[in-house]
Amino acid sequence: MLKVNQLMTAGALALGALASSVHAEDTVKVGVLHSLSGTMAISETSLRDVLLFTFDEINAKGGVLGKKIEPVVVDGASNWPLFAEKAKQLLEQDKVAVTFGCWTSVSRKSVLPVYEKNNGLLFYPVQYEGQEESQNVFYTAEAVNQQATPAIDYLLKQGYTKFYLIGTDYVYPQTTNLVLLEYLLSKGVALENIGGGFKKDDSGKIISAGKYTPFGHTDYQQIVAEIKQFSAGGKTAVVSTLNGDTNVPFFKEYAAAGLTADTAPVVSFSISEDEFRGLPAKQLVGQLGCWTYFQSIKSPANKAFVARFKKWLKTTTVPGIVKEDRVTCSPMVLSYDGVYLWKAAVEKAGSFDVDKVRAALKSGLSFDGPGGKVTTQPNMHLTKNVFIGETTAKGQFKILEEFKDVYGEPWLLGKFKAK
Amino acid sequence: MRTLTRFFSINLLFLATLVCASAAQAPRDTIIEAILAKDKARKIELIGSLVGESDEAIKPLLTAWKEDGLFVYQTPEGSVSILVMLAGEKDANDAQAALRIDNGQPLLDAAGKPVHLVGGDLTAVEHDAELRGAMKNVLDLLALATPDVVKRIQAIQAVGFSQDVEKIPALEKRLALETDSGARKSLREALAVTRLKASDADKLTAFNELKDLHSLSSYDLIRTAMRDAEKAGKPELAEAGAHALKAIDLHRTKINFFGTLFRGLSLGSILLIVAIGLAITFGLMGVINMAHGEMIAVGAYTTYLVENIFGTGITIPFFGFSLPIPGIHATGWFYQTYFMVALPLSFLTAALVGIALERSIIRFLYRRPLESLLATWGVSLLLQQALKLMFGSNNVQVSSPSYLSGNWTIDDITFGWNRIFVIGFAGLIVFGVWLILTKTSLGLLIRSVMQNRNMASCMGVRTERVNMLTFGLGSGLAGLAGAFISQIGNVGPSLGQNYIVDCFMTVVVGGVGNLAGTIYSALGIGLVDQSLQQILLNPVLGKILVLVAIILFLQWKPSGLFVTRSRNLDD
Repeated sequence: MLKVNQLMTAGALALGALASSVHAEDTVKVGVLHSLSGTMAISETSLRDVLLFTFDEINAKGGVLGKKIEPVVVDGASNWPLFAEKAKQLLEQDKVAVTFGCWTSVSRKSVLPVYEKNNGLLFYPVQYEGQEESQNVFYTAEAVNQQATPAIDYLLKQGYTKFYLIGTDYVYPQTTNLVLLEYLLSKGVALENIGGGFKKDDSGKIISAGKYTPFGHTDYQQIVAEIKQFSAGGKTAVVSTLNGDTNVPFFKEYAAAGLTADTAPVVSFSISEDEFRGLPAKQLVGQLGCWTYFQSIKSPANKAFVARFKKWLKTTTVPGIVKEDRVTCSPMVLSYDGVYLWKAAVEKAGSFDVDKVRAALKSGLSFDGPGGKVTTQPNMHLTKNVFIGETTAKGQFKILEEFKDVYGEPWLLGKFKAK
Repeated sequence: MRTLTRFFSINLLFLATLVCASAAQAPRDTIIEAILAKDKARKIELIGSLVGESDEAIKPLLTAWKEDGLFVYQTPEGSVSILVMLAGEKDANDAQAALRIDNGQPLLDAAGKPVHLVGGDLTAVEHDAELRGAMKNVLDLLALATPDVVKRIQAIQAVGFSQDVEKIPALEKRLALETDSGARKSLREALAVTRLKASDADKLTAFNELKDLHSLSSYDLIRTAMRDAEKAGKPELAEAGAHALKAIDLHRTKINFFGTLFRGLSLGSILLIVAIGLAITFGLMGVINMAHGEMIAVGAYTTYLVENIFGTGITIPFFGFSLPIPGIHATGWFYQTYFMVALPLSFLTAALVGIALERSIIRFLYRRPLESLLATWGVSLLLQQALKLMFGSNNVQVSSPSYLSGNWTIDDITFGWNRIFVIGFAGLIVFGVWLILTKTSLGLLIRSVMQNRNMASCMGVRTERVNMLTFGLGSGLAGLAGAFISQIGNVGPSLGQNYIVDCFMTVVVGGVGNLAGTIYSALGIGLVDQSLQQILLNPVLGKILVLVAIILFLQWKPSGLFVTRSRNLDD
């Protein structure tokens, strides 16, 4: 028994030594912090996949500063305190040079103190509410003015006069809708033409605009009936920040009430191509979406990107990757862009040091991504193109309008003044 | 290739014109007469007479006329002039196919071949600003006569809400021609709304008309018109406006009241359908079945499978293998019947899973309810994981058959077909369960075993078998519920988790062991929930208040609405 144990220890030591000798000099550790289990896994697993694909693509071309990227993938498990623990592990134990991760705003908020304390660098790829500008987070994500306000501009141009705000009850929809309320008022839309209800504090200031339902809400009868009455008096659009699978009962009820994309279109900020895999796409035909990337963009760069990703999916040996019916979407492309921007910054700085990389990022680096050119800004956000699209029966978007080079602006609350 | 496309476009045009040519010759003739008329007033009159007509030829002809696209063509042999329009792609010589205006068909030469002409060589039919104005008026209002009723109503509303007084004659003309009752109502509404901008007498009629129509959509416009009248110092007019608003408010209250009642009933029916199975397994048998939700999920996934088998087939990641399931490629109404096939199959599948569960685990735990709670909780996790491995962890899409996605709107109150179906089916299920329990020998055995298992056993009842069948019945009913849930909500591995709490809540409030109690409590909870949502305009607060009310209610009546009294010493 003793012998066996000794043998095993010796073997393990030898293996460890071998592994470290291979890895020590020519690799750089990079963290991937997404939920691979729990409720968010459906969305976040796709980001892990695209990140691993990007690392392979960069490594095949010689890596970053001559070093191969060595991903350290950890599972946040849709558990926000666990996100902070895993972030701590990545920074203090694995000493990663950079982390790509987080989806929900609450997970970002919970890892933020860890990154600030350890002076780490996190690339955050998913549309968010703004009101934040950390020196330790680079937001490749869509700011509110790169998704929500362009969508409103488009709707106003189409002649819509009434807007109904609805969302899932958490920080992103609440903040976004408050910004949208101010934006709509500044565009001359009367308060009575903004539906969903308002909550006011004691001084009469509006602290919450729109109708909110919890995660996993299933009964939308009452709300849809309200929308139907609201939409009777003029051209109405519904602005939805409903998240995840609550969209299914919402849209089924919406269709059953006889509301269609022709009579009252819904513009959703949380439904991308990836979410469509679990939604009844046929019932959503004609509804609107607004992102900084659509898979249907007809540029050669995008076509090549989609083809490369699909090819990689076929050949990859990473366990647990779904290979059938995969699509690309904006958070995935922003993750992809993020890795290349980090690479560019590291190469410009000539170092993996976070302070130097940050300075390089702030200097305005550009990358021609699948969604067009993106440029880093001094405020740790990204200038990029914004697209409005309508959904097709195949779960893709037909692009209706494009806004070129929109500057990412995180501080929007209080910016738009009513006339 | 080029000739081929041109050939096609000509053919298409030809077909299109054939279809409409037979429908109505009159508007074409009117246009020709207008072109040939010498007097401009007569031309305008003739064009004006087209307002409200719905012929498909009007739009292309008038558009072409306005844009110098109609020509006078002199045949090479003689001095016959033919009016033509040029259509289709231009060929290498800039020539296009010529279509006769009088019948919309290609112009043929002596040899019977289509003639191709160059626009620049011909004399275009003349027009001036006044004629163009008259034509624009016709084209603007052409939409009012769109053959599709839904689109027509949309167009009528668009014209009405633009409140352009000049459109009144056109709307009146259309109203005289209109036969569809929905479109007539929209026209009356559009006319009235437009008249709110006209003379005072017209405004008064408009207020009264809108009052009679209970027009929800014109509420804001009436209010604006009323305020204007107040400012202008016309109290009678303002009063008429106020009356109209009051009538509409009353109408809205009525809609909300009946709407809420209906929505409460439908929510109650869903609660009833998901809970009635549990009322049997938990209520009658006393098994705290935490896996009840997964039985619902099994039913929903069965529906999903049946739908795909009726369709194009599907490949599922069955425990790591790709398992292709062929489809029968049904279309049309046959495909739509998939749901009727899915209903019994959902019942059977869930019942079989339930029976397997009863045989393998639950039968050992009848006397240990707390352990059955833990065991079934474990089974629920196992089943969830099994569903994930069989169908993937993403939600799956189940599309509703057409007879379940639509609505009846009666007096502005919307009754969704899926909801009506759910209500009707809840009634059927309750009736069926009542029949089984009271009119069949199995029901008799079930009741006897549930009342006193030992005594029934002494009387020679095979209690083991009855237990198994009862549990199967309860699980099967959960499977049926799953088939319905797939029509209104998500189908995913954790589907059951969303309903298990509601199920227990309904059964406990109704009184454990009492089926009638479950019915009353399901409908009661549904109605209270929807009413609170309507009053508070907040879905979360409504749900919280319902839960608080239930807690207080159970403090007052711990055994629920209906108490089952028994002589059983175990109780």
